[in-house]
Amino acid sequence: MSIFNDLSIALQRKIGRQRLRKWILGSIPFIFLIILWEMNSYFVWLEPVYIPTSGSVWEAIFTLQEGCEGVAAAVALDNSCLMTTHIFSSIGRVILAAVVGLPLGIAFGVIAGMNRTLSKFLEPIGIFFNSISGIAWIPLAIVWFGIGWQTTLFIMLNTIFWLLFFNTMLGVRGVAKVFEQSVLTMGGSRWDVITQVYIPGAMPSIITGCRMAMGFGWRALIAAEMIGGDSGLGFMIFTSAAEFKIEEVFLGVIIISIIFMATDRYLLVPMERWTIQRWGLVWKPT
Amino acid sequence: MAVTNTDRSISEAAGRRSTLAQLWRQIIRIDAMNLVILVAVVLVIWTVISATIANPARYLPSPLVVGLSSVDMIYKGLLPSYFGDTMLRLVVGSFIGIVVGVPFGLAVGLNRTVADMFYPILNFFQSVSGIALFPILVIWWGNSDTTVLAVILYTAFFPIAFNVLSGVREVPIRFIQAARTLGASRWQIIKDVLVPGAMPHIATGIRLSIGFGWRAVIAGEMLAGREGLGWMIFSAQDGDNTARVILGMVMIGLTWIVLDHYVLRPFESETIERWGLVQR
Amino acid sequence: MPEKLLVENLTHHYPDEYTGESVHALDDVDLSVQEGEFISVVGPSGCGKSTLLNILAGLLPYHVGKVTVDGHMIHGPGPERGVVFQEHAILPWRTVNRNIGHGLEIRGVPKAERDNRVAQFVDLVGLTGFEDKYPHELSGGMKQRTAVARTLCADPEVMLMDEPFAAVDAQTRITLQEELIRISIATKKTIIFITHSVDEAAFLADRCVIFSRRPGRIKAIVDVDIPREERIWGNMNADTRFTSKRDEILHLVREEVSVEHEE
Repeated sequence: MSIFNDLSIALQRKIGRQRLRKWILGSIPFIFLIILWEMNSYFVWLEPVYIPTSGSVWEAIFTLQEGCEGVAAAVALDNSCLMTTHIFSSIGRVILAAVVGLPLGIAFGVIAGMNRTLSKFLEPIGIFFNSISGIAWIPLAIVWFGIGWQTTLFIMLNTIFWLLFFNTMLGVRGVAKVFEQSVLTMGGSRWDVITQVYIPGAMPSIITGCRMAMGFGWRALIAAEMIGGDSGLGFMIFTSAAEFKIEEVFLGVIIISIIFMATDRYLLVPMERWTIQRWGLVWKPT
Repeated sequence: MAVTNTDRSISEAAGRRSTLAQLWRQIIRIDAMNLVILVAVVLVIWTVISATIANPARYLPSPLVVGLSSVDMIYKGLLPSYFGDTMLRLVVGSFIGIVVGVPFGLAVGLNRTVADMFYPILNFFQSVSGIALFPILVIWWGNSDTTVLAVILYTAFFPIAFNVLSGVREVPIRFIQAARTLGASRWQIIKDVLVPGAMPHIATGIRLSIGFGWRAVIAGEMLAGREGLGWMIFSAQDGDNTARVILGMVMIGLTWIVLDHYVLRPFESETIERWGLVQR
Repeated sequence: MPEKLLVENLTHHYPDEYTGESVHALDDVDLSVQEGEFISVVGPSGCGKSTLLNILAGLLPYHVGKVTVDGHMIHGPGPERGVVFQEHAILPWRTVNRNIGHGLEIRGVPKAERDNRVAQFVDLVGLTGFEDKYPHELSGGMKQRTAVARTLCADPEVMLMDEPFAAVDAQTRITLQEELIRISIATKKTIIFITHSVDEAAFLADRCVIFSRRPGRIKAIVDVDIPREERIWGNMNADTRFTSKRDEILHLVREEVSVEHEE
């Protein structure tokens, strides 16, 4: 028993009593779900056609990766490495859309937000396009770009751009005038004002925009891959479902959830901590 | 050297905004007028693009064509019927989601241990998109209304349950202690402290739920092929009727603006104003 | 000796935010400031003293009259005129150090030299130990010290101060006033200080400019000839040189306020 006590004390020291308690408590429902799943595999209350066994989901990884010739082939998006190919093509699209969409949305947002009259004038456009952004564009995107990666990329890009544009515009508009004046009186140029005042000042709003873009964007991307794509995790689970390979569908859903949780926790939350919280700015959800 | 009258009038003139700028400002100040100008500008740009590209009927029909197609669809009764189908799904799905989600969140949130237990799993499921679950649901129930409704229910339930749970947890312990020193019973604390204290979060959760639910309806209809606005734009794309696709998109956008800005946001801000605990 | 800063026949109107009507803010203002002088400007609220400061800072374009610094007309803001604003205008996303060095950074001064200069001014305003804090971690007084140091560090010829101590508590304000006197002795800057507090105006300035209510005109200029080295609050309240000047200024300002009330 003393080993157990020592371990408990050591853990409490390392991660803190409250956090340890929360971790343990929080994992209970997950463990319960897993046990329930395992019991279903054993007692077969629901047919494996409806709920696959955990073993078959695990095996699905190897079935999908069958014939994959190492890391080089996986990175090259080889068709024999189905799972990694779909993962990489989804993530790749998200990254590509972010690399293009974030600067574009922020740039246009800053330009529009700098002028009060202009930004008031353009506000309804932002509201309208954010209302139809994402899923509702899928059919038109298919008309424009056909089935394939262009359509899915467009959907993601569209979601990111409008959310960032709108949030940056509102953010820049809300930056106190005196910050701008103080930089100007120190001899700063327009560009100094943009980089040192508008963008950091609009940061709370921009990060809200990023989080929303990731939230809505991922959902829209998955839908777009199902409807108008020919690769990616959404495409994978959709085609697997058509062939009634439920274990592959489960695998895909689990991967999607993990990637989504990870981007939020390890990318967006730290970003928020590093800017808004450190600067003591108030985070206002719009 | 004194200031002459000419100087004065120069300065005064500079002090007044030029009449044109002033007129523009006044026009902009009237929101409706602002909107009319903006819509006109957008329509003109749209028309010009549509007139210059090759094969506009396929890629970007002009606003006029889209308008005519809406007249046609209203005349045939298709548009109102699709619209009704979609709204019915949204209302039923999110209603059930809210009716189940609010009490669930409250019940789970009342006890600290239970709340800490359920917080991570609710957070997990609220961030797993309902659309991603669609293929699983299709295997279970096929391309049916049940599938679409299940997607909406899922997307509506988790945000509300999660928000109610965190709302209850965030009611300051001081308030509970204060009620206790006044001799309040457990039930009275729930009724008079915890539920009102969580009201702003409940309102936010409802708005989020319906927001996610709305997107889920559109996607669900497209994927499962059930009649409604989502299906309308999807089948129109299949049938090469781009005017109808754009009409559907505009309908989807406008419906959400009306719903969000005139129903949900006022509801949320009024609740927050009425019940909000302004604390820093 | 030529004037450092010269204002001639400055008249200014601006459009009202909502009605768009022309507001007469300044009327025929003449003022000349010598190098190294400490000028304070007092007047009833809304008398146009902040308009004057904004014009001097170059933040507000003017159309009638002439404003020159070292003989050059003012067109827009420039680093030779530093401004300390009323609100907390230091950037929340920069640490104390980086806020103070901001002016030098804009000018493209190399980092090593910048750090050197910044350290000097951190020391001068007594912020040692707080260099890496963000503004939200500072008290109101420390924020304004940072603001003063930021303006000083950019080494302007003229310092324009727009009610900089209005928002801090009374105890801190007294300390900041004494420190400002000390800094003005150490740096020999030309300072124009806008305030609505008569005590503050009389305590700080070599010359105190009293504004009439709108449209703002210069009503009187009162010389306060007490050497800066002697200006410490502990002595001042018993010093008749100070109290008589203060009462004189107070009287002039109150005339304006009471006229306003009668109408």
